[in-house]
Amino acid sequence: MRDLIRRYRNLLLAVALLLSVLLLYSYNLRQKASTTFFERAVLTLAAPFQASIDGASDAVFGWWQHYLWLVNAEQRNVELVQENLQLRKSLQQVEEFRLQNERLRELLAFVDDIDRPALPAQVIGEDVSSWARTITIDKGTRAGLRTGLPVVAADGVVGRIIKSSPNSSRVLLVTDASSAIAALVQRTRTRGVARGRGAELSLDFALRDADIEPNDLLVTSGMGGVFPKGLPLGQIGQVERDEFGLFQRVKVAPAVDFSHLEEVLVVVGEDR
Amino acid sequence: MRGFFLYLSLGMLAVLLRTSVFPLFFTPGFCPDLLLVLVIYLGLSENMLRAVLLTLLLGGMQDSFSGTSLGLYVFVCLTILLLVRLLSEHLNVESPPLLILLIAGGTVTQNLLLAVCLTMFADVGPVVQVLLPALPQQMLANLLASFLILSFVLKIQHLFGNRAGLAGLVYQSKRHGT
Repeated sequence: MRDLIRRYRNLLLAVALLLSVLLLYSYNLRQKASTTFFERAVLTLAAPFQASIDGASDAVFGWWQHYLWLVNAEQRNVELVQENLQLRKSLQQVEEFRLQNERLRELLAFVDDIDRPALPAQVIGEDVSSWARTITIDKGTRAGLRTGLPVVAADGVVGRIIKSSPNSSRVLLVTDASSAIAALVQRTRTRGVARGRGAELSLDFALRDADIEPNDLLVTSGMGGVFPKGLPLGQIGQVERDEFGLFQRVKVAPAVDFSHLEEVLVVVGEDR
Repeated sequence: MRGFFLYLSLGMLAVLLRTSVFPLFFTPGFCPDLLLVLVIYLGLSENMLRAVLLTLLLGGMQDSFSGTSLGLYVFVCLTILLLVRLLSEHLNVESPPLLILLIAGGTVTQNLLLAVCLTMFADVGPVVQVLLPALPQQMLANLLASFLILSFVLKIQHLFGNRAGLAGLVYQSKRHGT
């Protein structure tokens, strides 16, 4: 027996090591809400470097765009003046709508309004792998952030914080395969679960007979308790209904363009 | 000890490049995984104890910036390291084309292990649909990056000395007497 163990010592050690790492992974899977000391240390150590790289790249791009790459500057200037005029006109209309909206809200006592304090943060890094969809932001526990807080952008839901260190946090994007959010179709109030699929989302558990059409807006239902109700998640793309089966297959294009995400808002407070 | 920290610094540099620099120029699928290259190089060049310790730390580092749970990349990197070490007993590891081939094999193994672990342990449903289409891009990016790194390192070596093979593979050379 001793000879056998001695003979296969290296193999047994390797198997034992792999099993212990698997156990560690399995244990950490149940502790999703907590950030381990190791992760906190690595994130803390990397945050200043990431912020510096981000700042440096911004400076280099700015310098390039403003002082060197001026090939279409005049043409662009004319286009922007035109665009500015149109935007001013639109802005006046928007202001009218805003005032009208305020009056209607007071009249209807619209309680679904999302009105929570939010903290702006800058995206300083992306996920280190090609399959997972997470980003790193430059605010952490020192700014009052904690795991589980929802993160949004001007266009809609970005994701939620999964790890936080004193000066940075990691955000699980809604397009990540492990992300699932209670959602509803705005037009018909059909409920389902918006699940990440890499570049897009899918609406799972939407009943086969439910009325869902392409271009419908998908919003958060507020059921999970993480995201406020009514935030845009995406726009319905392809809808497939099999002859049999309980649910339909719905593809959703995310509302946020994650490839150009620079600033986000972390919703920190409760409903007012 | 100095070498140990050098590898760790290289690992941190790879992570910083992957998280903050590469996304400026490439889509996620086309960002090379330099940590994988580093782990394979460790498997070929360092003694077992040091390579295992470094791989555990590098895997943990990668886990800190990817996915949701610590341990996934530790397991994947460790398995790749052990496989590389097992293979290196039978291969001429100083051959540059073979190193490139190992990177290709490493990329496939990495994706396979990720898919198995995420499906079996984390129950992440559609992860295979995310991993599979990205595999050719990832493979291309990793091969191109490792080819560029290898060419650069060999050129630098040529400038500073007259050694023909890839430096750092001293351990293997000692073992096999080459």
